[in-house]
Amino acid sequence: MAPVPMPSALSFELLGKCSVTKARAANLQLPHGPVPLPIFMPVATQASLKGLTPEQLEETSCRLCLNNTYHLGLKPGQATLDAIGGAHKFQSWPHNILTDSGGFQMVSLLKLAKVTEEGVRFLSPHDGSPMLLTPEHSISLQNSIGSDIIMQLDDVIATTSPDLARMTEAMERSIRWLDRCIKAHKYPERQNLFCIIQGGLDLDLRRQCTAEMVARDTPGIAIGGLSGGEEKTSYCKVVDTCTGLLPENKPRYVMGVGYPEDLVVSVALGADMFDCVWPTRTARFGNAITARGVLNLRNAVYAEDFGPIEDGCQCTCCRSQEAGGLGITRAYIYHVTAKETAGAHLLTMHNVHYQLNLMKRAREAILEDRYPAFLKEFFATLHGDKKKYPEWAVTALKGVGVDLMVD
Amino acid sequence: MAEQISTPNLAQLPPEMLDFTLLKTTGALAPRLGRLSIPGRKTILTPVFLGNSSRGTIPHISQDNFRKSIGLNGLYMALEDFVEKHPQKTPPIFQLDAPDPLRQFNSIPNETLVVLGARRQPPIYSPIANTNTEVGLLTSVGYKSISSDYYAAAARKLHPDIVIGLADIPFGQESVGLKRKDKMSDRTEVWTRDIIAKRDGIDKGEPRYNIFAPILPIDRDLQSWYLEHLVDDMISKISGVAIYDAYLLDDLPEELHHLPRLSFHAPASPQEILRQVSLGMDIFTIPFVSDATDAGIALDFTFPAPTTTTSPTRQTLGVDMWQESHAISVTPLSASCTCYACTKHHRAYIQHLLAAKEMLGWVLIQIHNHAVLDAFFVGIRTSIANGTFDRDVAAFEAFYEPTLPEKTGRGPRVRGYQFQAEEHGKPEKKNPKAWKKDIEEKKLKGEKVKLMAAHGQQPNRKKEVQDVIDDEALIGLVDLQGVDVVELENIKIEDDKS
Repeated sequence: MAPVPMPSALSFELLGKCSVTKARAANLQLPHGPVPLPIFMPVATQASLKGLTPEQLEETSCRLCLNNTYHLGLKPGQATLDAIGGAHKFQSWPHNILTDSGGFQMVSLLKLAKVTEEGVRFLSPHDGSPMLLTPEHSISLQNSIGSDIIMQLDDVIATTSPDLARMTEAMERSIRWLDRCIKAHKYPERQNLFCIIQGGLDLDLRRQCTAEMVARDTPGIAIGGLSGGEEKTSYCKVVDTCTGLLPENKPRYVMGVGYPEDLVVSVALGADMFDCVWPTRTARFGNAITARGVLNLRNAVYAEDFGPIEDGCQCTCCRSQEAGGLGITRAYIYHVTAKETAGAHLLTMHNVHYQLNLMKRAREAILEDRYPAFLKEFFATLHGDKKKYPEWAVTALKGVGVDLMVD
Repeated sequence: MAEQISTPNLAQLPPEMLDFTLLKTTGALAPRLGRLSIPGRKTILTPVFLGNSSRGTIPHISQDNFRKSIGLNGLYMALEDFVEKHPQKTPPIFQLDAPDPLRQFNSIPNETLVVLGARRQPPIYSPIANTNTEVGLLTSVGYKSISSDYYAAAARKLHPDIVIGLADIPFGQESVGLKRKDKMSDRTEVWTRDIIAKRDGIDKGEPRYNIFAPILPIDRDLQSWYLEHLVDDMISKISGVAIYDAYLLDDLPEELHHLPRLSFHAPASPQEILRQVSLGMDIFTIPFVSDATDAGIALDFTFPAPTTTTSPTRQTLGVDMWQESHAISVTPLSASCTCYACTKHHRAYIQHLLAAKEMLGWVLIQIHNHAVLDAFFVGIRTSIANGTFDRDVAAFEAFYEPTLPEKTGRGPRVRGYQFQAEEHGKPEKKNPKAWKKDIEEKKLKGEKVKLMAAHGQQPNRKKEVQDVIDDEALIGLVDLQGVDVVELENIKIEDDKS
């Protein structure tokens, strides 16, 4: 089918490229304001980021967060979203929102849902009644949500699936569904539809899919179906292969990725945008993300640790009271976590800030063309001993010209 | 009327000395206006309420939101929230080497006045009986007891602005015998003398705290010795009284009338607050604010009550935000409220947050409920100043229903230390798993289990996959917790049959 010319509601300005790796720094202008790339996007699944007010989220420097179409479609539902005028008004968030298509929720749904050419059949979690999610319905929901970036419905299956025929079918179906999404999209002038490249871990399938998707000229491009438990090495190969075939002038979003190591490596492989629930989810279990690794502050060793969650961190919690922050200590988080919800709010703020700041530092390094050095410092701080560096990261970075083992 | 906040001449006072000035009083059992000042803290006009903290913060309110969105000048804190490591270890807060450990540990603003008591408000009944030397507490890890010495040492280390003297009150006991009441009075006197002596023994230059002496919830003649000694020996050493039964204010010796009165007689409704104010109460902790928040009830009352009498029925004191009727309402929780929740958000969002069990729902309602109470107390003070208090109370009682609305929705998860002891004996679970029960019942009846969730929360999934799925959101959405994988797998999809 002939590609449909598509208007775009974003502008992408490439500011700098790493002279060694494939890392890029860019400005992405979206309908609700500018976003610096590379970027991590926290996930406000049900139109709320785990206890934080929109102001608190704003303070972490977040200007683009996720909502989940699947969840918002169930609750509050499309009628409510239409009545209120979209998700921005609904949650009083003046900045950008990206919504997924609802397709990802089907990855783990396969036993209970059935994918046909028409769409995904599943049972309503409210009353058990059968429901059908089609590309048209997904786009219609996302049009009601009014998100700045909307995602096509794709046929997602676990990357670890050994069934090549099914994988091929899913990849091809995702292309057909993209065409249906493009056709159904009512507001291309104010909402940016991103395609999602599928094809599992098979690089040939990924290449085919990339070519087809790129031809459809969507304002942005996502690499999907990853982060489902596959080997990290395979993950890196897929990202590397796809970004190698993508046009330079469009944002590239790798879905569902969020561990700090994955972020910095994926940036080196040429990806720009990431999302993951892990930083906020892990915060609720008392885990603080720091440059030296994840600390479980529920551990008694922190009961008398009166230092900040992370030394030098500039988040609202860690900054001293003299510097306008709260001066929250590890000991206080230990004292309050899992006992008062405020403990989760505090750590959520810290973790989101950490992720956003990590990407900010990566961006600065790219702009100053010292991203390889940034990577080396990142891994040295995180692991100390080179023997502890994960092999997949060493291999992947070697592939883009950075040898972590050489200082 | 503009509120007078002219500060007294604090320069003449010792650095941490409390000054309480009665601005208006019309007799013994009558409402009164006062001004409480401590150098370095915001001046507080009474009647007033203190934030009722749990583990260092008002429930659902992180410290930044406390600064931005909660306009309170005072906070009540309980020692039992901080001493779960006692006696095996020194509780962490005592190891913090800081000039102001209580404030610093909990990130409380410098200008906020802090009152320290032994027990949370309301206290959960401790099965550990008080002895001549020790008081039973409930910490987050179980029941403990602390001595009067320990309490005084804690107060010295933490130096809050005000310390409530230990009181020997057998909380939760239906009837207390005469002999026991005698003991209550004797022990409370010993402990009050003790903390005064310990406080006075603090070296010059080291910060001291102000002491509020407890007034027991027993008849005057049963605590007459204690009260007499308070008046004769201790009056110059105490800065206020803590009242455990507001209806015994009548019995308070006249010599103590100039002191600020902090109520530990938890009011169940705004009407009960008004009743206590009308008896001359000054300072409150109001547990029903957080209770209403947890129940998803947005308080909705003003004092004086609105004068419009269009409705023939009495108005409700709060709005149950669980009701689906709010789902597309873009109106604020209360039309006239200027709190963060009401100026930035609307009912539809808050209803959604509760239904989705998102923590932010309770955050917003808690901010709002504190704003409603804050405005309520401003109204009380203005009404007293204007001399219209009795009339305004009568109008309030005629305008509003006498009790808060019944709770319908489920609140946030209950923690052990928030749970009343007598409720431990009840057969039902603290945090019911409604879903599992439903499935069990249906299985027993031989009915087909109706599938309520259509996404994978299979517990045995790979961790990497699980990490990506926001399990709490999903569990919150469908109450899937505890459903076995086997059951999910055996379920037939309805429309596959044809």
